Amino acid sequence: MSDPMIDEWYPVALFSKLDAAGRDTLLMGHPIHVARTGSERVAATEADGRSLPVRIRYGHVWTSLGEPKKELFDIPEADEPGRRLVDVGVVRVRCSPLRAVENFLDIAHFPFVHTDILGAEPHTEVEKYDVEIREKEDEVWATKVKFFQPQAAKSAAGGITTDYMYRVPAPTCSVLYKTCPPRPGEWDVITLFVQPLTEELCDVWPWMALYDDEADMTDLIHFQQMIFLQDRSILENQIPRRLPLDPGMEIPTRADMTSVAYRRWLKRHNYTYGAQLVAQ
Amino acid sequence: MFPNNWCKWTPVALSADVPAGTVIPAWTPTGDVALWRSQSGQLSASSDRCPHRGMRLSHGFVRGEALACIYHGWSYGRDGACLRIPAHPDLQPPASINTRNQITTEREGIVWVVNEAQDEPPPSFDGYWPLRSMTFQASIAALEAAAGAKADISGLIRCTLGGETAFLLAVTKGEAETIVHVLADKNASLAQRIAISQAGEQLRRDAESADALEGAN
Amino acid sequence: MKLYDYILSPSCYKVRLLAALTGTQLTLRPVDFHPGGEHLSPALLALNPAGSIPILEDGELVLTESSAMLVYIAAKAAPEWLGSGDPAESAQIQQWLSFSHRLTASLGGARLVEMLLRPGDLAALQASGVKALRELEAALAVQRMKGDIFLTGSKPTVADIACFPYVALAPDGSIALDPYPSIRLWLRAVRALDGFIEMPGIHRLHELKPEPAKETA
Repeated sequence: MSDPMIDEWYPVALFSKLDAAGRDTLLMGHPIHVARTGSERVAATEADGRSLPVRIRYGHVWTSLGEPKKELFDIPEADEPGRRLVDVGVVRVRCSPLRAVENFLDIAHFPFVHTDILGAEPHTEVEKYDVEIREKEDEVWATKVKFFQPQAAKSAAGGITTDYMYRVPAPTCSVLYKTCPPRPGEWDVITLFVQPLTEELCDVWPWMALYDDEADMTDLIHFQQMIFLQDRSILENQIPRRLPLDPGMEIPTRADMTSVAYRRWLKRHNYTYGAQLVAQ
Repeated sequence: MFPNNWCKWTPVALSADVPAGTVIPAWTPTGDVALWRSQSGQLSASSDRCPHRGMRLSHGFVRGEALACIYHGWSYGRDGACLRIPAHPDLQPPASINTRNQITTEREGIVWVVNEAQDEPPPSFDGYWPLRSMTFQASIAALEAAAGAKADISGLIRCTLGGETAFLLAVTKGEAETIVHVLADKNASLAQRIAISQAGEQLRRDAESADALEGAN
Repeated sequence: MKLYDYILSPSCYKVRLLAALTGTQLTLRPVDFHPGGEHLSPALLALNPAGSIPILEDGELVLTESSAMLVYIAAKAAPEWLGSGDPAESAQIQQWLSFSHRLTASLGGARLVEMLLRPGDLAALQASGVKALRELEAALAVQRMKGDIFLTGSKPTVADIACFPYVALAPDGSIALDPYPSIRLWLRAVRALDGFIEMPGIHRLHELKPEPAKETA
């Protein structure tokens, strides 16, 4: 496998749910086993017994089939006191891991897929926002994103214009910062961590770090599961299953600038696991 | 079976299965289509893939005279041209965004689709009316064996179902997948139509087990 | 009435849906089914030793089977959802309520394997799901021949609500609904009912609302 994605970190288990018996799973087509070996220790092994590197971070167990050249990306907000850390749980999707991330970066679908929750007609317009590839961090960032939401979060009672920032620190991970209704001026953190099982199958592990003292933890989990499951039936019905990186096969507009930058960034790094390179 | 040397049209669905204001998935030899009927009753067959992000348009919705994608609400007219991009309400979509529609026609309750203009209309079956469309996980050969009849030169299989004469329009979707439109006498009573429909279920069981036996040998 | 509820459970959704359609107030008590496994906690097992959700509490009454909950809500708030009282119709409604448990076991089982990684024989679950869908399609085809759209007549009953969710969500378990035209129209008829609510995986019928008018500056 020459794809540089092999040297990236991937989520492979929810740490709080992992026991000594562990979990048999796939990472980029390779069977691996992940199991708890101590109160703060986890082992990940390949089928031939080879030990894989492990990190325990953001509620999840992370590993890599290759030799990571960088430490797992940082989410500084995750360590801020007062945030509720929410393990949303795994959902399997028959789609490319890259399609799952691209959908997470998209706001224009809110009125049609997350109707009356994250968006609603007639408020469909996507205003211009800023997108850049930050060279120093080597990350894709979208900022000054705004969208009208009828029910922006579990803690939002009515409709508000919500601000967002999107960040792609790794090819199958994205971090979303969004308006935090109980604490104006702060950002809620919602992440999508995607485990590529194969190029057309993934386990998705959403995770959140929220300022919300009111809501029941189960309500928070259910809200995010509801949102992601509304996306799932879209993701399983896109053709082709793999994300086309060559221009021409799919037509973007200005609302899709984040997607365009993400695809360009993937191509630049030759991150092609789950990508379709030749137009059909 | 259809299409064939004499008939380039493919029977894709029954008219009654696509009422006004709805869209359904359908299959043609040149690709999957989103078959939709506008509010005013006009039928169209769009390629089943939104040019924006590849979402299947058969999951979309029909408003007025346009088909819209469920993902971002992009809508398309009967000629395939993109009419509206909700994320940019003031933008006139470029003409290059098009769903590449095929040609449709309806004849006596059956919807036919073809990808290029034909001199000949699709066949009509005097005195017969379609009852149901069914998908068989079986080859045409297995279907013919189960029906005890072969397709005639026009592609039609004439057989007896539930004691009544029935016609089968068969479309080969794959090596072991066949779409069958079952036609019954126009004047058949309700009891006769129910009997034919039930016999169609048995025909499918027979055809599928014939194929399974073949596979086991 | 208090419903122990999980947003992704089609069985819980049946109860929420009928409550919405009949204007019945429910107090929801979310259960952390996934990833927490709270339905197997001592507190919930004390209520329902079977370890399943939904659970419906109304005063002293505790119900643990969704079909019983549908019957209870209908009898209390909207008896027309139990049919006209005709013996044959009442029996058919009971038959569909029993049938709905086959849908839960097959389509629902495949969905849990495919979506939430629960153990199970996916191919076997999908095969029994397809068998059940074919039976439903055949029955609905006959209903349409009679001029009806719902399972037991021209009006929906608890039978339709009991069968609707797992059928609508069959694709979650990688079981396509494309081959079933009568099921498609029946699903649409349920989704178009006044007061209908969705659950994740079932999209809004956007066509029921007109396209928003272009704002003029």
